[in-house]
Amino acid sequence: MDLYEYQARQLLEEHGIATPRAIFAQNSHEVAQAADDIGYPCVIKAQVKIGHRGQAGGVKLAKDRDEAIVNSEQILPMSIHGHKTSGVLVAEAKNILHEYYLSISLDRASRDFDVLATANGGTEVEQVAKEHPEAVKRLHIDALEDFDLAAAHKMAASIGFYHADVDQAATILLNMWRCFKDSDATLVEINPLAKIGDPDDESSKSLCALDAKISLDDNAAFRHDGWKRFVDPILPDPFESRARQHGLHYVHLRGEVGVIGNGAGLVMSSLDAVSDAGEDQGNGIKPANFLDIGGGASAETMGESLSIVLSDPQVESAFVNVYGGITSCEQVARGILLAAKDLVVTKPIVIRFDGNAAAEGLRILDEAGNPNLHVRASMEEAAATAVTLAAAAKEARR
Amino acid sequence: MSLFIAPHTPVIVQGMTGRQGMTHTARMLLAGTPIVAGVNPRKAGTSVAFPLADEAGTIDIPVFAGCAQAKQATGANASVIFVPPSFAKDAMLEAIEAGIALIVVITEGIPVADTAYCVELALRKGIRIIGPNCPGLMTLDRPDGQPGANLGIIPEGIVGYGPLGLVSKSGTLTYQMMGELSDIGFTACIGVGGDPIVGTTLQEALEVFEADDATKAVVMIGEIGGNAEQDAADWATQHMTKPVVAYIAGFTAPEGKQMGHAGAIVSGGKGTAQAKKEHLEAVGIKVGRTPGQTAQIMRDILDGAARR
Repeated sequence: MDLYEYQARQLLEEHGIATPRAIFAQNSHEVAQAADDIGYPCVIKAQVKIGHRGQAGGVKLAKDRDEAIVNSEQILPMSIHGHKTSGVLVAEAKNILHEYYLSISLDRASRDFDVLATANGGTEVEQVAKEHPEAVKRLHIDALEDFDLAAAHKMAASIGFYHADVDQAATILLNMWRCFKDSDATLVEINPLAKIGDPDDESSKSLCALDAKISLDDNAAFRHDGWKRFVDPILPDPFESRARQHGLHYVHLRGEVGVIGNGAGLVMSSLDAVSDAGEDQGNGIKPANFLDIGGGASAETMGESLSIVLSDPQVESAFVNVYGGITSCEQVARGILLAAKDLVVTKPIVIRFDGNAAAEGLRILDEAGNPNLHVRASMEEAAATAVTLAAAAKEARR
Repeated sequence: MSLFIAPHTPVIVQGMTGRQGMTHTARMLLAGTPIVAGVNPRKAGTSVAFPLADEAGTIDIPVFAGCAQAKQATGANASVIFVPPSFAKDAMLEAIEAGIALIVVITEGIPVADTAYCVELALRKGIRIIGPNCPGLMTLDRPDGQPGANLGIIPEGIVGYGPLGLVSKSGTLTYQMMGELSDIGFTACIGVGGDPIVGTTLQEALEVFEADDATKAVVMIGEIGGNAEQDAADWATQHMTKPVVAYIAGFTAPEGKQMGHAGAIVSGGKGTAQAKKEHLEAVGIKVGRTPGQTAQIMRDILDGAARR
């Protein structure tokens, strides 16, 4: 789960990392109050779970109350790269002397944790890495060793912090690591980690986290009270929430063929087969969703899955692809009939069974004699049929 | 030469007395896997009766308090873990500390920090973890009489012995590919798991297949997320004498959405199926568009080799 900036800075603060004063606001009235409280000039920053918001016009400086209101009225209704803005952060504007980049992340390849730093912060670290690879330093934190202030100090000195900033950077690095570990994060990124203060007064200078990105491990939610405090103020997709209530993995997409299968890999493969068939047939039909019924699903689970998918108005046909391992195709067939009976199904359902109890499952479907059920022998044929039927249904409604 | 596990290795099941553990222990036993013990501290000293094949009665499998006791009493040197995610770290640590050589973790939903810790500890002790979040390992009975073993949830009866190796990030796609190539057969099928960190990577599985004389070619099934497919491909082109054919799932996956598996996510434009396919093809590994086409490519390669 990715956090919003206002949530990420809260976690950093809790771990002793300085951030500018800031208040989260969701309407222009709240923004005006927050801006008065923070003082001027202040920065109005869109809260979205996606990068490059600055270039998209999601970050604006306000020198007075009127400007804060006008800016927030522009930003609040924005969708940035397809993500709805959940609110704005009204933050103190800082006099920036220098910008660093610092992150700790899970490294899938080396199976440990990566510390990435550069003295050229403020922009995308990938960009810096491409143009000045020598400017980006990378170190590993071993999955078994802990990390202490001495290690942090050594690391800060070797990853490009200027001499005067090393002590502070070491403390920040250590606190970031504690934040990473305590929160079961997979990414804690501060960009920029800014040096702020009066350029002529050395004692006023300090390092401050001006923006932060944190991703948390969903699998660890059970030891953090389900991350309840980081609940997203944007209402989730109704189909996704209904599926989640039933313990199903569901992702809503934009096409017309509802895809259901057992096992994440097989469902992804089924989505690809639908997209390929849409391309081959030249009708642009695409998958409407990803839905994994998991291993050993019961008839009830299958019935519920089908009813979620068919209740989606964008779905023109459904494609059920099951390779019975632990899952029994017979249970899946009973589930399909259960849903078909309750829903008075009018949308076509294309089914492909193989493996455990496939013959029995197909016999049950055949006996039902429902004209909306179409059985195909292979995954490719079934995907092609589901696409053809979806295209025809879409055409007929025009 | 053995693949991942020596023949006749006695196996314990951690979480055997749970619902999943019971179901799959029964299956593994029927498949001929020498399961000798279960582990559950609250049920130590009891035993569970499992049916034997052909209605030949039942077999009592004793339950021990811990892996060390189970290993000492039975000589077990492999474990299959079915415990819930919140107990998985302790279960893995217990098996590692007992010096069990092969630990297969089926459990889905383990915090990645727990996995990272256990995997690193296991690597240092020369212990192999397979998984987590995987269907496990199946080795096939060999014509010379060497028995195979089934450690996990891969269904019996799809395939028999043959010259292929199969390594996959996904469970059902493993079964699908086994089905596609059932007429040719496999030496071993291994699901390495769909989590961001796994105990045995695609590359490490390829290393084992390369070292096995009976395996003549390998099918590799990958999916979106991370770089494991590219790393495995780079290693294969430099070190493998055997052909590898690949399939990648998830071309239609949108950015930033987790597609079922914890590790199956495209983030910051990285880990796309397209990038993996292009990388594999650039280093000379053929990638099928569907599981069926992938199987066909493998057939063509085997036919070509037979003609030469």
